[in-house]
Amino acid sequence: MTILYDEGQQAIATESRRVLEARVSKDALLPLLETVGEYHRPFWDTAKEQGWTALALPEAHGGLGLGLVELGLIAHQAGRSVSGAPFLTSNFGAAKAIELYGTDAQKARWLPGLASGETIGAIAFAGGPDALPRQPEVTLTGDLLDGFARGVSGGLAADVAIVLANGPGMAALVLVDLAGVERSAIASFDNSRCLADLHFAATPAESLAVGSVARDAALHILALQAVVTAHEQTGGAEVLMEIARDYALTRRAFGQPIGAFQSVKHRIAELYGLVELARANCIHAAAREGQADFITAAAAARLSATEAYDTAARDCIQIHGGIGVTWELGLHLHMRRARSLAIEQGSSLFWEDVLVDRLAGEAA
Amino acid sequence: MSDLEIYRAKAAAWLESMAPTYGRAARKGLSEADDLALGRRYQKAKFEAGYAGINWPTEYGGQGLTHLEKVTFDAEEMKHGFPNFYFGISLGMPVPVLMQFGSDKEFVKERVLKALQGEEIWCQLFSEPSGGSDLAGLRTRAEPDGNGWKINGQKVWTSWAHYSDYGVIVVRTDPTVPKHKGLTYFWVDMKAPGVTVRPIKLAGGDSHVNEVFFDDVKISDDHRMSPVGGGFAVAITTLMIERYVATDSAGFGPHLDLFVDLAKETLLNGKPAIEDGRIRQQIARNHAMRSGLDSINVRARLMMQAGMIPGAEGSLNKLVAVRSRQKLSELAIDLQGTDGFTFDEHASQKEDWASSWINAPTGRIAGGSDETLLNTIAEKVLGLPQDHRPDKGIPFNQIPA
Repeated sequence: MTILYDEGQQAIATESRRVLEARVSKDALLPLLETVGEYHRPFWDTAKEQGWTALALPEAHGGLGLGLVELGLIAHQAGRSVSGAPFLTSNFGAAKAIELYGTDAQKARWLPGLASGETIGAIAFAGGPDALPRQPEVTLTGDLLDGFARGVSGGLAADVAIVLANGPGMAALVLVDLAGVERSAIASFDNSRCLADLHFAATPAESLAVGSVARDAALHILALQAVVTAHEQTGGAEVLMEIARDYALTRRAFGQPIGAFQSVKHRIAELYGLVELARANCIHAAAREGQADFITAAAAARLSATEAYDTAARDCIQIHGGIGVTWELGLHLHMRRARSLAIEQGSSLFWEDVLVDRLAGEAA
Repeated sequence: MSDLEIYRAKAAAWLESMAPTYGRAARKGLSEADDLALGRRYQKAKFEAGYAGINWPTEYGGQGLTHLEKVTFDAEEMKHGFPNFYFGISLGMPVPVLMQFGSDKEFVKERVLKALQGEEIWCQLFSEPSGGSDLAGLRTRAEPDGNGWKINGQKVWTSWAHYSDYGVIVVRTDPTVPKHKGLTYFWVDMKAPGVTVRPIKLAGGDSHVNEVFFDDVKISDDHRMSPVGGGFAVAITTLMIERYVATDSAGFGPHLDLFVDLAKETLLNGKPAIEDGRIRQQIARNHAMRSGLDSINVRARLMMQAGMIPGAEGSLNKLVAVRSRQKLSELAIDLQGTDGFTFDEHASQKEDWASSWINAPTGRIAGGSDETLLNTIAEKVLGLPQDHRPDKGIPFNQIPA
């Protein structure tokens, strides 16, 4: 697959940017920070109305049959605008798990709703520091699930979750209908992620993959989501670089624009480098879906995008000086999002290990 | 297979066939004089096989192909360690500029053909002791002398000047106007009376750069390649000739696989270093950086293939790759501990960590320092303001020293 965007793909990027810039503002996002469990509904309504939820899902189940490249372009724009909900990625992950590992009945039951966005999906693999634990805290006995899934993005609003569970002597990837499942909301620094702990107590679950394949399947889903998130991070980093550049052109000190000082202009030029490396890795990874080196490409995209967004958030605020740390200016929306996206889908520590295992030929 | 892939395959096969005679192994232990002689024969073989001047006009002995074929060939050629660096500057900048700006077409054609066949070498006389990044601040002067000019002054960091037959030079012809406006571009005969070349030994032990002194060197006006006072524009053309040259995400140092191998065979705290988190992190970070550059370069190639102009992100290659190569080389020496003391000044920078490390600073300075490249990105790509320049608009001879 070529890594040059065609006209249709460029149109997706332009149109999604236009729509999001018209409909999302920091004034709508700031209050969400102080409310636990609420997401930006206009963002999600837009995603549904524009067909973004259906974009990368199969046509047979209500999707549009496009792929990671196109969804990545949307995620990039969503990242620029600080997306108002985590479901673009979590729905995609849940739907891909069902599409790849589910039965026809499961696909028919869940995919149309996930594609339309009426159903919200979540992924619950992680347990604290471990993005893909060998001994998950959730256990599967027969077809009943018990235990806690901690810090699930979108978990508060989700209708269905894909959970990595500890079965009898083996791992299991299971599908859980969340109707009636108890959840406790997490008060977070980025509250519109709708974070929750899920409490399973003899909750019925359906197996998607059992044994060693369960972990591989979970890693594959995580990598797919990581590529989407990397695009979102790159979008966020890109817009922060532009904001920093624009501010450095207008703000004056010591008789000249601050952008004329090398300590400022080189900092912004370095951001340009980080953004372009992340973008290049994202484009490459999206085009490698289905290839043997996909996990490696996803890891590289994830690592460079996390570095780009964190650094851009740090430096953009620094370049703004005092005004940069005000609530009202809202740069902290990006600073917060840079960190929540750094944790979702596995932190840099996780992806460094995944990557080096592969480079050193030690992948399990 | 696309046409370009067919071209690549043919070139690769030809290069493969040349490797036993001219490649890395054939060069081992040769004196520099013998290596240069081998290089001249290799350049001649390239010319005869149709791989010299790939993207140059056929009327000058080139192949009339595109930049794409040239980059494709260079990438394949890089794998074998041929003795081609003696001609890198010559054929990279001065000779193309001569083709573009030389006035006597017959003379130009003769020079180009000899240069393409490795018989003559050209150097580029730009940097001076008083400044490298600030090219327009140069001090070497040319004064009218009869019907021609007389050059006095000093150049420095001139690669391969000691083997060069000719050079292109920028000199000051009018010190009474602002610095960019008083420069003129000439070619000079490096064997002319009054030209003295002294090699400079660099930190890594090799001496491919030189000081070049000009003492009353007389040239006729037909050596002039720009209008009088119009030399800066031609100099900039020289520097911009090839934005997307053959790139190397390893920063012209060792491939990351070599570091992974080293980490696997080295014990750290009784365990293979590849299991150490600090080492793993550096491997992962370097891989992510290099794969990003590789993707940028593949995209640039595809864009050129599609007739588009590649984005400015190509300017990141040298900046990002060389400085990370420098740090990774330090870490590779750390990993070896006291075994890392050994040094062979003839070892290849692409295979040996100590050689890569000691020569890395040159890579971060030559051809645009890191700081200059950051300025270029900030100003030309992002539209940020120029630095404060106290010498701007002031006649050269009134700039405080």
